[in-house]
Amino acid sequence: MAISSVDKYARQKSIEILRKKFASIAKRILEGKRPVLIMPKRVLSNTIYDMKKKLLLLGPEMKRRSLLDVNEARKFMQTLLMASIIYEALVNDEYPTIRDLYYRGKHTISYRDILGRLHHENTWDEQRESDAVIRDIEVFLGVLREEMLILSKEKGKVVGNLVIRSGDDVIDLSKMGHGAYAIEPTPDLIEFKDIDAEFVLVVEKDAVFQQLHRYGFWKKYKAILITSAGQPDRATRRFVRRLSEELKLPIYILTDADPYGWYIYSVFKIGSITLSYESERLATPNAKFIGVSMTDIFGEEEAAKNIKKLTSIFGKDLKNVLSKPRKKPYLSEKERKNYIIKAKKKDVERAVELVGYDVADKLISNPEIKKYIRQRKMGVSGYPWFRTPEWIKEISIFFSKLAKLEIEAMASKGLKFLADTYIPTKIETGDWID
Amino acid sequence: MSAAAPPERYRAISPAEFFYKYREIAGFSNPVRALYQAVRELVENALDATDSHGILPNIKIIIEKADENREFYRVTVEDNGIGLPPHVVPEAFGRVLFSSKYILRQTRGMFGLGAKVAILYGQMTTGRPVEVITSQPNLKRIYYFKLRIDINKNEPIIIERGSWRKNRDWHGTIVSMTLEGDWSRAKQRIKDYILRTAVVTPYANIVFITPDGEIYYYERVIDKLPRPPREVKPHPYGVDLELMKRIRDNGSFSTVKEMLMKSFQGIGNVTASSLLEIAGISPDLNPKSLSDKQLLELVNVMKNYKRFRSPTSEALSPLGEEVIKAGLKRIYEPEFVEAVTRKPSAYQGHPFIVEVGIAYGGKVPLSNDKYPTLLRYANKIPLLYDEGSDVTTDVVKSISWEQYLVKLPAPIIVLVHICSTKVPFKGVGKESIADVKEIRSEVKLAIQEVARKLRAYLSKKLKEEEKKKRVVSLAKYVPEVVRALTIILGDGRGVKAKLLEEKLVEIVSLRTGIPKDEVYKVVKSVEIGV
Repeated sequence: MAISSVDKYARQKSIEILRKKFASIAKRILEGKRPVLIMPKRVLSNTIYDMKKKLLLLGPEMKRRSLLDVNEARKFMQTLLMASIIYEALVNDEYPTIRDLYYRGKHTISYRDILGRLHHENTWDEQRESDAVIRDIEVFLGVLREEMLILSKEKGKVVGNLVIRSGDDVIDLSKMGHGAYAIEPTPDLIEFKDIDAEFVLVVEKDAVFQQLHRYGFWKKYKAILITSAGQPDRATRRFVRRLSEELKLPIYILTDADPYGWYIYSVFKIGSITLSYESERLATPNAKFIGVSMTDIFGEEEAAKNIKKLTSIFGKDLKNVLSKPRKKPYLSEKERKNYIIKAKKKDVERAVELVGYDVADKLISNPEIKKYIRQRKMGVSGYPWFRTPEWIKEISIFFSKLAKLEIEAMASKGLKFLADTYIPTKIETGDWID
Repeated sequence: MSAAAPPERYRAISPAEFFYKYREIAGFSNPVRALYQAVRELVENALDATDSHGILPNIKIIIEKADENREFYRVTVEDNGIGLPPHVVPEAFGRVLFSSKYILRQTRGMFGLGAKVAILYGQMTTGRPVEVITSQPNLKRIYYFKLRIDINKNEPIIIERGSWRKNRDWHGTIVSMTLEGDWSRAKQRIKDYILRTAVVTPYANIVFITPDGEIYYYERVIDKLPRPPREVKPHPYGVDLELMKRIRDNGSFSTVKEMLMKSFQGIGNVTASSLLEIAGISPDLNPKSLSDKQLLELVNVMKNYKRFRSPTSEALSPLGEEVIKAGLKRIYEPEFVEAVTRKPSAYQGHPFIVEVGIAYGGKVPLSNDKYPTLLRYANKIPLLYDEGSDVTTDVVKSISWEQYLVKLPAPIIVLVHICSTKVPFKGVGKESIADVKEIRSEVKLAIQEVARKLRAYLSKKLKEEEKKKRVVSLAKYVPEVVRALTIILGDGRGVKAKLLEEKLVEIVSLRTGIPKDEVYKVVKSVEIGV
């Protein structure tokens, strides 16, 4: 029972760290010093993009959360409350989910103010609040929630020629019928037994995953097929990372051609801002963005026009990314008309956040959108990992066309086209963004 | 209490027929006004007979229904004042324009005429006589009169008179008169008037019994009386030909120069000489030989002379800061009260003093949302009507109260008292004060001065409240924090919950400067639900 012992060890270690950390708080209190929790700041300004490792990491800035600070007192209380609940779960050999923790800690504090009026206050109201507190405890203790045996809802799914051991069971992921294996919240406890696959394809959309699964894509192309069903959870990211790291498989990510799809890819590859403390464990730096790319839809002629407008910002480096002869689009003019969706203002805003206002301003020609963005996003500098020539080429088309496309559109052109033409061609020709 | 009262001077001055014209002006135009006005006249006389003579007033006001079928009301006002010499009673109550108030000093009544107009009105509407009981401190007997006024002859008719030995040391006056009135419509006014009078007379016991059987009792809360007004010579700025003629005809001065020096304040040897030189009148002339033309010339010179000293304020009787504060406290029990008596000032030769009190919180009623509730007084008399046209209203409205941390509507009262030998009333109602530049400026300065103290108080209170709020927002989490720590560390083994709580309370108390027991109070009030 190797897993059980791993589990036990993880529990014991977490209990010790919790006790040690909070004993020092109690000691401070008994010495008459003010109680403070010192922890790394989990904010954008303290998130550093490590150019060498190509990872989003937590910076060195620390915050002091004091019970005596009116603005922090509630959070201080919440942190201690959550720590006590996690502690109880650990010593009782339980596996609470983050939702369980939310319910266990949610109660009312009633008190009287200076005028003697009775007030009621909830320890927390929404799960969003208690989830944030859990993340604070992770950085405060330097212990991940998986190590504290806290579970979350399973979201990611996987099928393919892969045999794993989970708990006491051996599971063959090629024998899941029309279903799939749900990636468990503690993917580190999974053991890879046997593998016969050449690459991993991660699909953002669950529906497309199912279509490819039924089509037999993974059998035909010796792939491991995964879906994150939208924003990837920690378990899916960790699972993908282990496939890349331990089994040395290339990872291809297929998302919608829109800012949310691009961001999902970047979360897989370099980490997320809210969980930057986890990037070293969760991110997959080798992951490649296979599509759907804007040049697949509009061709590279469109990109070439845009790049001329951007030389004032980026110089000549940009021109090198245009291949010769230039790639033709996968979609005809008529198909484009049918499948393309007009970008919403929210999409444009999100894209500006990714690549920066200066690029957007040069490329957007629609005066109404241009003005809208100027009012809201002027000065936004963009994330450095999206300001690479490849991504600028990609996103520039989004700005000039103000259009987006869902993966399903490629499937609508024919599932056969998606499975047998589009994906294989992209992989064979190395037509991806790394 | 028996004060050494200064002798009053009495002098008949003018015929009685004047009353018919005067009745409307004096406020006896209808039964509502009449009842209110009668109460006012008698109460003001009662107060003048007491506090102006150093006596702490005990005033009793009784209004009762005096006829089953008709709206007749008997108004009785009793005071413990200096009383009247028995031989002047018939004249004082029975002849119009006989008064002790025709001398220059601040008194409540304008002409001392009102009470007699009330008596006349009562007599005209009900036919019933006025009854007066009075005794002076040095007299051994109490005197009783039942009087009527012969309107045509302007003479008192004594219907009944009597006297009896004093068997206790009583002095004062009780006046009872019956008049046609309208209590149901006048009662709010009258109650207001008595309440507002009580605000500025904390040194008086006032009992008020209404026809409805209600008893209002305002108990004395302070033994200090306002400084009584002193009789002063007129200031040359206020001189007119009539006054000069009177001085010339009634005085016994050997020279004009002496006449000037002895009849006016602020005129000494040097000033008298230069006035007469400018007027071209020889200083040694016998005043009786001055022609009206020469007198007029002298009056003009005096009016235009620029170098007189400011008029003396000795004739004024301000309430004083202590009295204002005590009065506001007695009625409103405010959390904040402050007052200021400004230094004397003058307009057109008339000295005046502005006083302001501010009460905040406690039982002070909420003001409107434009400006604080205003209590206006002129020579200690409450002004109840025409608030909108009063200069003080204008000033109070012009002040930006947020600047003084007052968020209107607020429980705030601003009391403004203007005392002067001549209050510049606006119109015949004498219920509002005219916009006189000097008065406006003094009122504004006085209000600002007190309002600054209010701001200091409110700002301190606000800070205290903020501090306490802060403590609550910290202390309410202490039990949860203690509970969490003892779960992780184990109560008994690692730490004791009680000790942790004690220490946390201590730390919170130390950091915020709020006493430990107050922090404890919040901590103890906390209940952690499920």
